[in-house]
Formats: sequence, C-alpha cells, structure tokens
Amino acid sequence: MMAVYDLEEQEQLAELKTWWNQYGNLVTSIILAVALAVAAWQGWNWWQRDQAAQASVVYGGLQQAALQHDAKRVRELAGDLIDKFPRTAYAVMGALVSARVQQEVGETKTAQVQLQWVADNASDDAMRALANLRLAGVLLDEKNYDAALTRLASVPAAPFLARHSEIKGDVFAAQGKFAEARIAYEEAIAAIEEKQKRADADGNERGRHLAYQEVLRAKLDGLASSGVKP
Amino acid sequence: MFESVRNNPRITQGFLALITLPFAFWGLESYVRGAGSTANFATVGKSTVSTQEFQDALREQQARVRAELGERADAALLNSLPVRRAALEGLISRRLLNLQADAGHLRVSDAELAAYIAAVPALQENGKFSPERYALMVANQRMSKEEFESRVRQDMGLQQLLLPIGDAAMHSKTGADLWAAAELEQREVEEAVFLPATFVSNVKLADDAVQKFYETNAKKFEVPELVRVEYLMLSRDGLLGQVSVSEDEIKARYASQEGKYREAETRRASHILINVAKDASDAEVKAAQAKAEAILAKVSKKPSDFSIIAKEQSQDTGTAERGGDLDWFGRNMMVKPFEDAAFSLKENEISGLVRSDFGFHIIMLTGLRAAHIKPLDEVKAQISAELKAEAAAKKFAEVSEGFGNMVFEEEPDSLKPAAEKWKLTIQQSPLLPKAVDGVPQQPLPPPFDSPRLVAAIFSADAVEKKRNTEAIEITSGPLKGALVSARVIEHKPATVQPLEQVKEAIARRLTLEEAAKLAVRDGEAKLDKLNKGETQAISWSAPRTIVRAVPGGMPPDAVRAIFKVGGFKLPGYAGASLPQGGYALYRVSSIKPAATDDTRRATLTQQYARVVAEQEFSAWMEAMRLRYPVVISKNALDAKE
Repeated sequence: MMAVYDLEEQEQLAELKTWWNQYGNLVTSIILAVALAVAAWQGWNWWQRDQAAQASVVYGGLQQAALQHDAKRVRELAGDLIDKFPRTAYAVMGALVSARVQQEVGETKTAQVQLQWVADNASDDAMRALANLRLAGVLLDEKNYDAALTRLASVPAAPFLARHSEIKGDVFAAQGKFAEARIAYEEAIAAIEEKQKRADADGNERGRHLAYQEVLRAKLDGLASSGVKP
Repeated sequence: MFESVRNNPRITQGFLALITLPFAFWGLESYVRGAGSTANFATVGKSTVSTQEFQDALREQQARVRAELGERADAALLNSLPVRRAALEGLISRRLLNLQADAGHLRVSDAELAAYIAAVPALQENGKFSPERYALMVANQRMSKEEFESRVRQDMGLQQLLLPIGDAAMHSKTGADLWAAAELEQREVEEAVFLPATFVSNVKLADDAVQKFYETNAKKFEVPELVRVEYLMLSRDGLLGQVSVSEDEIKARYASQEGKYREAETRRASHILINVAKDASDAEVKAAQAKAEAILAKVSKKPSDFSIIAKEQSQDTGTAERGGDLDWFGRNMMVKPFEDAAFSLKENEISGLVRSDFGFHIIMLTGLRAAHIKPLDEVKAQISAELKAEAAAKKFAEVSEGFGNMVFEEEPDSLKPAAEKWKLTIQQSPLLPKAVDGVPQQPLPPPFDSPRLVAAIFSADAVEKKRNTEAIEITSGPLKGALVSARVIEHKPATVQPLEQVKEAIARRLTLEEAAKLAVRDGEAKLDKLNKGETQAISWSAPRTIVRAVPGGMPPDAVRAIFKVGGFKLPGYAGASLPQGGYALYRVSSIKPAATDDTRRATLTQQYARVVAEQEFSAWMEAMRLRYPVVISKNALDAKE
C-alpha cells in the first residue's frame, strides 16, 4: 500500500530516519543484549529445573530405600546425586538422609564423609549448619574430640546455637573437662531461653522447648555429681 | 506521528517487544502487583498471605478444635486469639516450607505422583486403583483433578524437603549417654518437712488485717441479686397430652409407609474356616485346601456333627467355640464370596469349599428369615407416637404466636389468662441469683440455663414493674424449642455479707497464709545454716532413693533442687517450697551412678533422640523464618471476620 504524506509528516519521517541512523545500532544492540540476558537467565533456570527434575527421581528412590533401611542402596543413590547433580538441593538432602541411615547401621565413616560434603559444599547455610552439628556428634562418638571441637569452633546462626553449645559441652564432658563443659551447657541453656523468649514474642511454639531445657539442666547437674569439684 | 509508526514496522515491532517482555517473563502480575495489597494479611518473604487464605486456614483449625473438644468448643473459643493465632502460624509454616521447596526447585515427577495416588487404599477396589473412586473423591473435595494433583504434588515436595530435617536428625550416642546417666543416677535422700500447720501458733495477725482484707476483697463477699419467678412453658412435649389420634389415622399411615416397615432377608449360618493368608504360596494353599476337603467330606457324611467338628477343627477361633455359629446377618455384612455362598444355600444345606481372603470356608445355613413386612400390631405404638408428636408440633405452631401476644401484650400483668386458655400449669422457680458480668454464679435448673431468659427476669420491666417477660424460646438443653414466659414474684437486692459473718473465715485463711510464709522462712534459714556447716536439730525421715527420671511423686522443684547438690561434698543439702504450702529440706547422703545395665537407658535414648529431632527441626524452621521474614499486618489477628 502506498501512502501519501503531507509535508509535516515527511519532515517527521526524515527526523526519525536521522535519529535512527544515529542511534539505530545502539538501540538494536541494547535490545539484543537484553534479549540475550533474558534468554541466558531463562536457560539457567531451565537447566536448574531440569537438573532438579532428574535428581528428584533419584531422590524418590533414595526415600524409598531409606524407608526400607536399605543402607547400601541409600548410599549408592546419595553418591549418584552428589556425582551427577552436585549443585541441586537434592544432593544435599540425599547426603543428609544417607548419613543418618549409615549411622544406624554403624557405617560411621561413610556418614562422616557425607556430612562433611554437605557442611563444606552446600549453598544453603541452614543445611550446612545442620550437617556441621551432626558431623560434630559423629566425631564425638568416635572420640575424635579435637576434630569435633574444630567443627564447633565458629559460632552458628542463633537458631542453632543451643544444640551447638550442647554438643560442645558433651565433648568437654567426655574429655573430663567439667569446667569447660559447665560453661558450654550454661550457654546452651541461655540460648534456649533466648529462643523461648523470641517464640513467646511471636506468640509461637509456646512450651516447645521445655523438654529440651530439662535435658540440658539434667546434663549440667550431672557434671557435679561425679565428686570432682568443677 | 502515529501514522509514521504504523508505516514503519521495524520500530513498531521492537517497541511491542519491549512491552511484551515483562509479560512474557514475569507474568501479568508484575503490572497488578500492589493493587489489592490492603487485603493482604501477612507477608512471608516476598509472598503474601491473603485474607481469604487465612479464613480457609481458620476454618480448618476450627474444625480440628471442634473435633477435639466437641460440645465444649463454643463460638467464643473458636474465634479466640489462640485459635486464630494457631491457624495463622500453621499457614505461615506451610508457606515457609513451600518457599524453601520452590527455591530448591523441589518437584516430584509425574510417575511418582501417579504411583503415590494409586497406592492410597481408599482409592482402590479389589486391590487395584479405581479411576471412578478417584474421580468421586476429588469431586467430593470440590476440586478439579488438576488442583488436587497439584496439592498432592506440593505435599510430596514438602515431604521430600522435611525428610533430611526432622526424620534424619542425628544425635551422638555420647550425648544420649550423658543425659541418661544424669537421669538414672541414684541419690539417697532424707527429708524434713515444715508444714504451715505447725507455725499457726506463731502467727500474730495485725489488728486490722481482717478488716483490710474484707475491704480490699469486697467483691468476694457480695451476695448477688435474687429473684423467684412463676412461669408458663409452652412446648411440643407439653401439648402431647392435648392431642389424640384415631385408629383410622394409624391405619392410613401404616398403609402409606409400608416401605419403612419392610425388613430385608437375613440368614444365619455356621462355618468352619481353614486359614490361608492372602499372599500364601501355592503349596500352602494346596495344603489348606486338602485339609478343608477332608473336613468337608466328614461333615457332608454327617451334617448333624457340624458344630462338633467346627469346634475341633475351625481355625476361626472366635466362632469355633460356638460350633462355628455366626449369628444372623444381612447382605453386605460378610465378605463377598462368603455372602454369595450363604445366600444361595437352602436351610441346613452345606456348601462346598468357599475361598475368601481369610481362607477356605465350609458353610452351613442354619436359619433363614425371608424379607417381610412388620405387621401393624407390632408397630402401632410407634406410629401412634409419631402421629401424636406431629399433631403436637402442629398445634404448637398454631398457638405459639397467640401465646406470645397474650403474655406480653394482651395480659402483661398476669400469667393466669394464658394458663387457662391453653390448659398450662403455672410453675414456680427457686430463688435465682443474677449472673455477675454475664457469668452465671452457679448452674441453674432448666429452663433458667437460658441466658436470654435469665437476662429477661432481671430486667427493670420484670423486677420493678412485675410484668410478664416476653415469650422466650429456649435454644438449647432438654427443653429446646419451648417458649417460656416468667413473672417475678419475689425480689432480693444484692447485698454484701457483713464482716461479722465472715470474720472468722478470713482470719483462718490469713493465718494459714502467714504460717506458710513462716514455714518457708524457717526452712530456708535452716538450709542456710546447714550449708555453712552448722549443726541443726532436725528430725530427718528414713532415707529413700531418688532417681531423676522417675521422681515418684516428688514435686518438680524439689527434684531439681536435690539434683543440683554437687557430689564433691556429701552430705549436701537442698530445699524447696512445697506446692501445697510449706517447705521441705533434703539431705543427700550418697550418690550412686546409674547402673550400666539399666533397661531404662534404651527408653531414655529414644526420648533423647526425639527431643534432639524436635530441637533440630524447630531450629531449622526458625532459620527459615529468618530467611523469609514474616510480617503480620498489625490488626490482622484482632479482626473479627
């Protein structure tokens, strides 16, 4: 279709053309860059989802195997997840589940390796914190006190502080260092009382930690019964 | 200007692409976000919780509370802050988990989802997944299949997420042992109790103590306003005596409702069972079958011995004792193959082998009641009662308006005219106390358990003008549905019990309180001296052994105090206030470590594992709360609907 332009329109058209000659390339390349970035972002998301979907199937098998206490199968599948999909949440979750199953059947070395992988590699800090606590517990049971204390050297986020201090107390108590153990247990009690306060302020989970407080108090009192003055 | 754009497709397209970009990648939402934000209840991370979602959660929470408490769950409780809060907390926790699951791209595969749904027992028929049942169940939930499946998928994702947190929590054996050792340690303890009663003679109350207590607690001594009323009650039950039904009416009703009196066929049978598990091997099935066939041959030869053989051979132990008798049953009460066989037998006939999920049955039909209709004589009383109740209800409906008008408007100063008109008896109540702040001081007999009626009889119209109350409908209790109008015949204003009357009770109470304080003070002083090594004249009880885990009725404060005593200097002393008043001193003379073979260790280890798992879970949840900050809009929980 041919259009007929009046003078004004022709002027506008000419203006636009000059503008386009000057900035056309720039505009095109900006649009191109944005489109590329978006595509890359989409691609990255797609890749992550795809990885997760594949890992989910493996994890489903691991769930089943864990229910059946099939430690060998759980270990294999957890290994698969770490090897093939190390950047997925499933790899981290699988390793944590497997560590528990391995501990149940006395495969503490495997449990230790898996917990360590999570504690050192997980991108999720809450999962790292959990793995770290569990790893310290396994090391404690192996009487590897120094390694356990190294694991507990840095202070974790507030929610995990009580368990952290309790395990530290357990390590010291196992070493016969009752004075240090007392301090650690007292820290744990203080942490749980703080937590209780936060929960109360939210009107949330009231009374949830009472049983745990009693556990900590009993451990603390138990330190003094040995006849050694702490 | 626009024409030029129209004719320059390249620019236009680029421009359009810019507009569509956000659409394509962030969805329509990016334009409407912020629009209806006032309707939001709370935000969790970047997501919002809508009022609608909260209402749904609240309804579910209320249903849970109602299921737990039944009748006691009244409207006030169901709408109370704790219930609303619990609903919101549940909603928030779920949202936190969903956000975390999304962040990890957790999603179960279609195959797993299908397998999970197919394995739900309620959706199976004859051991196989039934698409019809599934469709029906989904429809009952008022959801589409897609919605339902996406919910199940979400739940499965949460299961995936939670498995490594709570279920896979780990505790160290050393940590569990340390706790178990503390819990099972044995302490030999002697006790000395300081009871308030022994200190009563030492108490000297201040001269004005009783007077002061009386004045500051005046409310306690108030006697509420009392009234006695006469009242009329119009109820369906009360009108039963005023209606009658004729033979003809009964016959007509019987004829019209024949179906109601029809009884289906029932049968009685005995059986001999040889068990075969559902998943038994072929060899097992064959062995059982051979055995059953042998028995069948025996009973076929001599049917009169069926019950004796059943007693000896049947592996259905419950019925074997009764010679295999299963009593009367109708259709749909027995497993299918059994029912088919039993309903095809003649009386005293014996079946062949019948295979069911339980095993092989040999069935003998011992009784048969054909389907029949109950004769009129048998159901006459029932029909008559029904008809009377209907007539009384009809009459009640006819007269209730007239009754209400008469007592309240036509004859408001006496109940007599209404009583005469409808042949009702005027009744008299006992003295009734007024509720204080809307709370009844004692349970009142019906119909005065109706708050509306009580409010009416204490109203100014009733008390001062001695008018009839309006006809009030009783909405709960045994008299539900009745109309009551009452009229005050005696009134006593509120009074306060005079000091003289309550003086002694107050003095006794204050003395005991004071004595309890003295007992505690004395006990604490003695404990202090004992701890300083001074000797005290105390008569200790015989020693007993205390274990922390099983305190055997000892108050928790005392247990805590006893186990705080260190083992480095024995005997050690502890003391605690007693919950019933007074104080107890404890002397810990020896501490023995827990026996290594104590069987309670295993139980305690399990308990410890559970506490640790809970702790790890709640710590993780709190971490999620920090990761996705929760903001609850200020008045969210006060809002009533």
